[in-house]
Amino acid sequence: MFTHATLFARWCLLLLLCIPVLAGLVGVIFPALGYFPAIGANGFSTQVFVTLFTLPDVWQMMMLSLFTGFGSTLLAVIAAFCILATFYQSSLLGKIQGVLSPFLVFPHAAAAIALLFVVSPSGIFAAIITRLNAYLSHVFTSPFTNGTLPINEMASISEMALPAANDGTLLYDDTGLSILIALSLKELPFIMLMTLSVMSQPLVKKKLTGYVQVGTALGYSPTASFFKLVLPTIYSQIKLPLLAVLVFATSNVEIPLILGPNNPSTLAVAIMHWFNHIDLSMRLLASSAAVVQVAVSAVAVMLFLGGEQLVKHVGKRSLSSGNRYFADAALRACGFTVMAVYIILICAVVYTVVTYSFAKQWHFPLLLPEGLTLLHWDTAISALASPLINSLLLGVMVSTTSITLVLFTLESEQLKPARTFASNAFSASLFLPLLVPGVAFLYGLVWFQQLVFQDAVWFHTYIAHMVYVVPYVFLSMAVAYRRLDNRYAMVAQSLGKTPWQVFYHVKLPSLFSAIMVAWALGLAISFSQYLPTLLASGGTIPTITTEAVASVSGSSTRLTAVYVIIQAVMPLLGFMIAWYIPAFAMKKQRRQMHSEGSLDYVDANTVHKERMANIRTKTTRA
Amino acid sequence: MLNLENVVIYRDDKPMLQLSAEVAKGEVLTVMGPSGAGKSTLLQAIAGQLQAPFSVSGQIKINHVAINDVSAHLRKVGIMYQDALLFEHMTVGENIAFAMPDNSHKNKQMKYEAINELLAAVELDGIADRAVNTLSGGQQARVSLIRTLASEPLVVLLDEPFSKLDVALRSQIRSWTFSQLKARNIPTVLVTHDNDDALAAGGDVIEII
Repeated sequence: MFTHATLFARWCLLLLLCIPVLAGLVGVIFPALGYFPAIGANGFSTQVFVTLFTLPDVWQMMMLSLFTGFGSTLLAVIAAFCILATFYQSSLLGKIQGVLSPFLVFPHAAAAIALLFVVSPSGIFAAIITRLNAYLSHVFTSPFTNGTLPINEMASISEMALPAANDGTLLYDDTGLSILIALSLKELPFIMLMTLSVMSQPLVKKKLTGYVQVGTALGYSPTASFFKLVLPTIYSQIKLPLLAVLVFATSNVEIPLILGPNNPSTLAVAIMHWFNHIDLSMRLLASSAAVVQVAVSAVAVMLFLGGEQLVKHVGKRSLSSGNRYFADAALRACGFTVMAVYIILICAVVYTVVTYSFAKQWHFPLLLPEGLTLLHWDTAISALASPLINSLLLGVMVSTTSITLVLFTLESEQLKPARTFASNAFSASLFLPLLVPGVAFLYGLVWFQQLVFQDAVWFHTYIAHMVYVVPYVFLSMAVAYRRLDNRYAMVAQSLGKTPWQVFYHVKLPSLFSAIMVAWALGLAISFSQYLPTLLASGGTIPTITTEAVASVSGSSTRLTAVYVIIQAVMPLLGFMIAWYIPAFAMKKQRRQMHSEGSLDYVDANTVHKERMANIRTKTTRA
Repeated sequence: MLNLENVVIYRDDKPMLQLSAEVAKGEVLTVMGPSGAGKSTLLQAIAGQLQAPFSVSGQIKINHVAINDVSAHLRKVGIMYQDALLFEHMTVGENIAFAMPDNSHKNKQMKYEAINELLAAVELDGIADRAVNTLSGGQQARVSLIRTLASEPLVVLLDEPFSKLDVALRSQIRSWTFSQLKARNIPTVLVTHDNDDALAAGGDVIEII
């Protein structure tokens, strides 16, 4: 009975991932080929593509998408490996994870807006530079004032300095450098934490520790060991997630929309504008562009795979060269620099955004606002009440159902393992929504959804969110599930417990903290969805994220700052709940069980527990 | 009584182990052999927990009833590993209560007394309310034994259960285990590397080459 239920869940999951993506793709390919009955286009032709490629900017858009997507991924991968190679054996690793983890759950839209705040021509960096310039020039030109600035002079400096700050700014540059940097800042934490999670799988970890010990014994430096022993061992496991990052970067909408050039914009942004155009015939153009977007992402993937082959070829040679060092000093410097950039950016963002949200007035280039007020918070909170409730409702629904589906699916894999082919097909389908650009299939999906249930807006939005939440929840849970010692389940079974009892009484409690973390992750991903929410709901379900993006072009900077803070705090609250509930439950349980209190505390981490148990069996006697 | 009749274990359809044996009530059959010979896999086949790529043919009978097609949780075959594998989200008492068959005791009080009685038999009186991770290795091993016995198994399988205990502790736990199993007349299969284990078990020894 339970076994059948889990099998059913597995099929549900498979269909949930495949149907929306494939239907969505069909839904853009038809209009792209000129078939769109709603506007009376009934024939198939390639005319739409011809029209698309006669647009003057289309090649530039494609190049911009390719350059920003591929460049940012490459940069993020290299920087992530630099940091890992520098810190993977250092005690600082935990701290670095702590610094980078919030970036993972920080929505793309919020990250882009936050960057906009700090690097804009009137942002904190520009202000600091202007002040420094002014200060230095003042010191040099008037050596007798002893460096202190009278207030009236300061005002004159600020007026003088303002135009200068507009030069050399990064924003809205035609080459897309700002998009590239913003994307890599957002991708790096994901790549790094994902690699670390692969490295910490018990079997892999054991193997890697051994490899590094051998490497060290043979005289290889830690950095060289990382690149020559660790990375080749784990690369196959992180390859698919890397490709998913690459596809995402080439087709992301929020970041180029907020930070990028508009004339022309990236292809994905253009697609969005065309789809949302009042003139419905633009949909044909948008659909064909969506197909081209798939091609652009595919080219990026091919470039990446080509680069990978090249690196492999060169790497093979370097393996047998016997060189014990791997540009150690340079890589270390890189690692430290990147971390410093993150820390500075985080400080600047937090300072700017929080200050803006309370500022009455904040003139450039002052470092402090003039007067504080709660007005923006009041305004925002009354305006955001319903988007907040929408976000929460959607997030909780999506995350709870996906964790249930994922747990049952993982259980079904253990109860009734699929054949090799089926299980390969399953893992491929898991990455399908991540490997097909969202901007390409979401519009087609919306078209289908309008054909089937026109009014079930919540249901459509729910499905669109599920497509993105399920893969991440699955990846996060699967790691914990595989870490669980299967012999516990076997023992429970041999004690006469049914599969359901084993699942409910043994596995769920052991996985409780991991389940909570996966649930919070699902919540965070659902919160951060911009395009799926906007499209599937047709704009009728405003969430925190859609409102925040909308606020960038609209209302006041200070109100936007409030939105960014709320966007950042919501997923963090989810994670705090996820961390505290298991810890709290365990403490309570412990207090009930024994009042001695001096006994050592063992947390829910199975790896940790096993090690403790080993030490005990070796050193103590009954 | 446990009967293994022409039992063949396959790995990817290639036979890797073949044996026939009979284990009478209260007897211990010891299976020895090099790593990777399929000893643990044999135990998993008897327990009904064989996983791909392994498969089994031949008859496995408990008290003359073939159990090949019976689900693992209905076989009443207890299994113990080298780790105690006590559930850490339950107390010692809860671990044992979890193992007891439903309706085995009239009320909670009787169940609790039965648990304490079982614990007292291995000199662990009064630890029923302790957290599992506060026990020493030797205590955990004994609780694990008690937990297996509490499920009233028809057959017990031991997968190198003493190999992680240090030498002084090992012989003590070993004699406890065998005497408890003998007292309950349970046929047992022991898989081990250790000749002392085989000697202490005192039953037939099958050596896999």
